[in-house]
Amino acid sequence: MDAFLSGLALLAEPNMLFLVFAGTVLGIVVGALPGISGSTTTALLLPLTVTMSPTAAIAFLGSIYCAANFGGSITAILINTPGDPSASATAFDGYPLAARGEAGRALGMSAVASAVGGIFSVFVLIVAAPLLARMAYQFGPPEYFALAVFGLSMVAAIGGDSPVKNLLAGAFGVLLATVGLDLTTGVERFTFGVYALSDGIEFIPVLIGLFAIAELLEQAAQRGTVQEYVRLNAVKLPSLADFRKCAKSILLSSGIGTFIGVLPALGATTAALICYNETKRWSKHKEEFGKGAIEGVAGPEAANNAAVGGAMVPTLALGIPGSTTTAIILAGLIVQGVRPGPHLFTEQPTLLYVVFGSMFAANLLYLVMGLGAAKLFARIALVPAAFLWPSVFVLSVVGAYAPNQSMADVWTMLVFGVLGFALRRFGFSPAPLIMGLVLGKLVEETLKQSLLIFDHNWLMFLSRPVVVVLFLITAAGLSMPLMARVWRRLRS
Amino acid sequence: MNASRTDRWVGIVTLGFCAAVLALTFRFDEVPVSLMQGLGAELFPRLVIVTMAVLAVMIVLGVGVSALAPPPPIPPMVWQTGAVTVAFMAAVELAGMWIACLAFLIGLGRLWGERSLLRLAASALALTGALYLLFVRVLGVTFQPGLLAGLWS
Repeated sequence: MDAFLSGLALLAEPNMLFLVFAGTVLGIVVGALPGISGSTTTALLLPLTVTMSPTAAIAFLGSIYCAANFGGSITAILINTPGDPSASATAFDGYPLAARGEAGRALGMSAVASAVGGIFSVFVLIVAAPLLARMAYQFGPPEYFALAVFGLSMVAAIGGDSPVKNLLAGAFGVLLATVGLDLTTGVERFTFGVYALSDGIEFIPVLIGLFAIAELLEQAAQRGTVQEYVRLNAVKLPSLADFRKCAKSILLSSGIGTFIGVLPALGATTAALICYNETKRWSKHKEEFGKGAIEGVAGPEAANNAAVGGAMVPTLALGIPGSTTTAIILAGLIVQGVRPGPHLFTEQPTLLYVVFGSMFAANLLYLVMGLGAAKLFARIALVPAAFLWPSVFVLSVVGAYAPNQSMADVWTMLVFGVLGFALRRFGFSPAPLIMGLVLGKLVEETLKQSLLIFDHNWLMFLSRPVVVVLFLITAAGLSMPLMARVWRRLRS
Repeated sequence: MNASRTDRWVGIVTLGFCAAVLALTFRFDEVPVSLMQGLGAELFPRLVIVTMAVLAVMIVLGVGVSALAPPPPIPPMVWQTGAVTVAFMAAVELAGMWIACLAFLIGLGRLWGERSLLRLAASALALTGALYLLFVRVLGVTFQPGLLAGLWS
């Protein structure tokens, strides 16, 4: 109770309120810019948190994470270009609605459904995270190793459409995490005599490079593509009948979205796409879908915002990111010297209450802003690329340089930007690489500790029931796509 | 399960990368056996490299990969943007971060099709000014002044 009260007191401080407000506004504004996803937004703004306290940093990042998902829907609805991949399903019906002059109705429904989904998932986070942490408190290094391997195996399902390429990118991320001094032996690995690499590869320049710089090059490749803009007529908000029509899909999608968010690596995009299909399946007006169904906006929006709170559950309780953006938030916390996990619930409960409170507040704030200032935010989508992307580059350079005041970090960012661009061209997604980079150290440390406990007998892993269960789930998850393909071939 | 030509090349390049990185692990410093505790520094990276190699072989064989069409040629605009970026890095060394930022914002904006120099200059000044205030005045970050500033001082 003391922690709860001190968390509330901390959150009520003017500077914290300002950070939550600023995070929400920045999340919506940057999230609404076409091509800048929630993860890019978080990566771009991460350097600002280096000078903050861990509590302030996580409140700021949590608010950005909540609001950026909503911001992404603005461009999806108005220019058929999702500001965030998770809003791609919103565009299916949001854009047709806007095209026939009902942009306000679509934006209003998006704000309400997003807030309901987001708040629902925050409540789940408040209940589920401590329970999961209590369970995980019994975990030793072998269980954490199995859990991290399970988290890595889930990258097969994110980004791109090739599980093998996703796993390869994830493994490359793990390999990158081995760069630097090996803490148990003191041996330098892959440093090539460069002193700056002794501490390992810095997270911030890598994140900014893979997301922002790679996207800049992607946008350069697409110059000349004409986007179709629709006029935002007077913002006519959704009617009571609209809400009645969508209530079921919002609730259903909030539940499914939260559950999908909790699964490591599966985030808002998967949740939104699954819930779009589910909303359509359970709707009485299936024929309207794809032509401007208001339920087609409500379902995916509730789901992708519900996935936000869901994704924070394993991130905070286990230290295993639930999505790409939470992997970036986790990296930000590691930079701050905070390693989330079950011990956080006993050692720093105040920090957790600040997370819960700030996410709750951010959801309420963007609901108010979404309903009141949708027309204003819609203007953001009209910023010409010739102004937007050079500004993103300058922000990236300053952001990569600032934490260590090192030009080497700027070069690292550029190298990873080019790498990210090349990876995308050949069907790889940067998200698994980030997951690998963030989880790599945990995998190696827990493997080494486990083998010390087991006196180097690898078979002893099988003596731990939780480990066996997690290994079985991992194996099933990895072999499922292949089995399904073989099954389909046999049937045909 | 046939891999596309592009995927086959992706797999082969990855295998080459794995071989090169694996060779590097044999050049790690040796730890005396008496000081050795647990796994050596090289074992974990090797495990990861072997995993990557297995996945690369799967790509070469087209297992678990949907055939990838050859990517379209990189448009000249990407190369030009890259060149402006390299010029920016040189400008940072020469003229310092803030002048380089101003020049970059105007230069790339122009390259990307904005015709009004006045609008470009105004927005570049506003953004650079805001970043200077936030990072230098508020957060106290020191940016390198550049060689030219060194000559004048």
